[in-house]
Amino acid sequence: MVRFFLERDRVADLVKHLMERRTVYAPHRKGRRSFAFARTADPAAVVLDYPRTLHSVKKFFLPPREELLRFDLTDDTFAAGEPEPSGAAFLGVHSYDVAAVRRLDHNFSAGNAERNYLVRRQGAVFIGVGFEPDKFHFSGSVGIEPDDTAGCDAFLTKLLDGYVLEILTPTGRELLKGLELPPYEGNDPPAHPFQQHIYVPQSRLGRIMDKSYEHPVWAEASRTCVGCGTCNLVCPTCYCFDVQDHVDITATGGSRERTWDGCMLRGFSEVAGGEVFREGLPERQRHRVLRKFKYLSDTTGVPWCVGCGRCTAACPAGISIANIVNRLVGDAERTPVAPI
Amino acid sequence: MKLQDLINPAAAKELYLPVMAEIRDVRKLTELETLYTVALPGGAELGHQPGQFVAVSLFGVGEAPFSISSSPTRRGVFELGIRRVGMLTDVLAGCTAGRKIGIRGPFGRGIDVERFKGKDVLIVAGGIGLVPMRSMINYVLDRPGDFGRLIICYGSRSDRELLFTDELEKWRRNPNVDFRVTVDRGSPDWTGHTGVITTLIPGLNLDLDNLACCVCGPPVMYRFALLALRSRGVKEKDIWMSLERRMKCGVGKCGHCQINGSYVCQDGPVYHYPEIKALQEAL
Amino acid sequence: MTRKPRVAIFDFTGCEGCELNQLNFEDQLLDILAHVDIVEWREAMDDRAGEYDIAFVEGSLSTPDCIKRIHDVRRRAKVLVALGTCAVTGGVNAVKNTRPIEEVREEVYGQDKYLFPTLPALPLSAVVKVDHNVRGCPMTQIEFLKVFTALVMGKRPIEPDYAVCVECKLRENECVLERGMICLGPVTRAGCDAHCPTVGQYCIGCRGLVSEPNIAGMEEILVDHGLSLDDARRRLQLYNANQLEGAK
Repeated sequence: MVRFFLERDRVADLVKHLMERRTVYAPHRKGRRSFAFARTADPAAVVLDYPRTLHSVKKFFLPPREELLRFDLTDDTFAAGEPEPSGAAFLGVHSYDVAAVRRLDHNFSAGNAERNYLVRRQGAVFIGVGFEPDKFHFSGSVGIEPDDTAGCDAFLTKLLDGYVLEILTPTGRELLKGLELPPYEGNDPPAHPFQQHIYVPQSRLGRIMDKSYEHPVWAEASRTCVGCGTCNLVCPTCYCFDVQDHVDITATGGSRERTWDGCMLRGFSEVAGGEVFREGLPERQRHRVLRKFKYLSDTTGVPWCVGCGRCTAACPAGISIANIVNRLVGDAERTPVAPI
Repeated sequence: MKLQDLINPAAAKELYLPVMAEIRDVRKLTELETLYTVALPGGAELGHQPGQFVAVSLFGVGEAPFSISSSPTRRGVFELGIRRVGMLTDVLAGCTAGRKIGIRGPFGRGIDVERFKGKDVLIVAGGIGLVPMRSMINYVLDRPGDFGRLIICYGSRSDRELLFTDELEKWRRNPNVDFRVTVDRGSPDWTGHTGVITTLIPGLNLDLDNLACCVCGPPVMYRFALLALRSRGVKEKDIWMSLERRMKCGVGKCGHCQINGSYVCQDGPVYHYPEIKALQEAL
Repeated sequence: MTRKPRVAIFDFTGCEGCELNQLNFEDQLLDILAHVDIVEWREAMDDRAGEYDIAFVEGSLSTPDCIKRIHDVRRRAKVLVALGTCAVTGGVNAVKNTRPIEEVREEVYGQDKYLFPTLPALPLSAVVKVDHNVRGCPMTQIEFLKVFTALVMGKRPIEPDYAVCVECKLRENECVLERGMICLGPVTRAGCDAHCPTVGQYCIGCRGLVSEPNIAGMEEILVDHGLSLDDARRRLQLYNANQLEGAK
């Protein structure tokens, strides 16, 4: 492990160095108080100290809208969409978002491997950055600490006057070669505590979820849930999609496009003819939470929620997934936990 | 199982690109249902199992899954029995022979015919559930040495909605087939059995030690069919069920068809009953 | 295709903004005209014709004469498309339905009220069968073109039945609730590609509600964001008076 000291004033040098070698995607300000990953044009616009971005880096590998093929209606032929390998440097990614990419890698590699995702994912380099948990983060409870470097090629940890830059892989070393930095010989910077937690270890959650199917929490959580789908759409591990054909106004051609979809939306489980298999909001809420903490975890051994807090921060009704889980935990363990 | 590592895209097949097939024949079955005969380019075989499905698409309209209605023993072409219920099926209803359609598949897990071999085969089909079950029925009829007796229970809302009426007649006349049909409400000239499909089950002559049963029908039917079969003493391990859910991709990616943790397009549509017994969302 | 579909456009009670929006399709108007014959359109031409393959109808129904005319249009049209929110839900016009109709007549027409017969403002679907909807106040060109192209191709247009939030998230907008605005996006039917939040405005719900909306939940959200319950209800009623409880 090689550690360097990156002085605060030299962060722009790091960005420039990366920009000379790769396309760089990094967090930028968006709107009044939000952040979003965007292609970096100006090193000064990169923000490394941010709570969370609106979307995770998922959007680069599984775009919100993606053309699967283009068809010609005059002769019934088509051409496949051509996803481009990203090959980019993703700078300033939080540990939970890298962990989420790891889960998406699994989904698009296991079983029927999907070319579109895999092509876009090719050559991506991650330079992580530590974060200070706010009231929504609880990734520590699902085994992802703010300074967790897993999956990163290099990692930045904040100090008072700059960052510790840790080189983690040969790819990282190669990419950062030529960036003249002094070694860092100080102590490990202090870890920031989480404000939000799930109160049992992941190893016990599966059992608790098993017993939670008929729990009143699903109905309680649905009282103010309006089924808008925001929680799904901002989730870094949600990968469900819809596919629709769009016809050009000339009616001679068009495209088959896939779009992010979400299991909280009523139409998600609706079949032709009108039957909705998950009709009520409580059933949908339960499906969402069990997908994160049971179904996919049962087969992969890891929770599918990475504790980023996006669903909770973005929910118009403020419904908290951690509170839902803690309510289940509390009842299963007979410890009183306040109603959500 | 652990998290699968990222694999090289070169090792991944195209999942979403259709093969352009051709409609060879269009036959109206009822007011709502049509049977399409489809040929793949170059006379390729679809290579399916009874109970599997394909994704059918018309460019500019969209794509949807449909069960395959023909038996794999009938080669060269395959058949799809399709009910008009939505946009794609509306447009398909206007298609004639020669029309190009996109086909992906076959997808899913069909009927495990090996586990039906040597046994009496009981098919319980309600409404358009007969469409995929017809594939199994004709498979059994085409390989008479492989199976025991064939027992078919078919229920329809009314006699006007009965599908494959010419074939129903053949099955009825076949001495090796015990064919029963019922309608919920018969028209005045209907002389057959009237009542929901489960009313056929008590009267069946079943060899409970040598039976394999497959159920397919509208969502509401499964629980009742199961109760009727169990009360006749049919063992859970001898029951398979073909389920329907919303699907977009057919390859285990889009998430729509999940029932609890199971993907219908991968683990189904035909499930062995003991596998789904514990899935609360299944039946 | 044998002959071009014959298209007619009608207006009832509304501001005619939707129709004006159609005329503004400078870029696509020629493409549109290549596919259809427009046989009746008061806003743009004088001809009157007998029957139509597709009738686009704008506005809500608010007088006895409207009711008579819409039946006539329905008889002559193979496909009837409600154009704009007034036609789809009754729109802003239907706010008057929350009060007794006589009171409304009095307030608007004063002592001349007997000269102006008026009914509660109704969506077209309350009176005749509507085949498709193009929502929005005004409807957007993009969405009109989608429906139009689908119909010309002989297929059923897809009407989104999810919230504006979905499209807003797909565009990775900062949530306007985050900016302290009151937004109806969570219960308002999408299809506009979240036009207003994307330009920094809040959603006023101009496209009507998603099906089976959780209205009580939405009211609670609005109250949590600082509105009184009455104000929250009034917000929701602006375009949905006919859909919400309390409409008379």
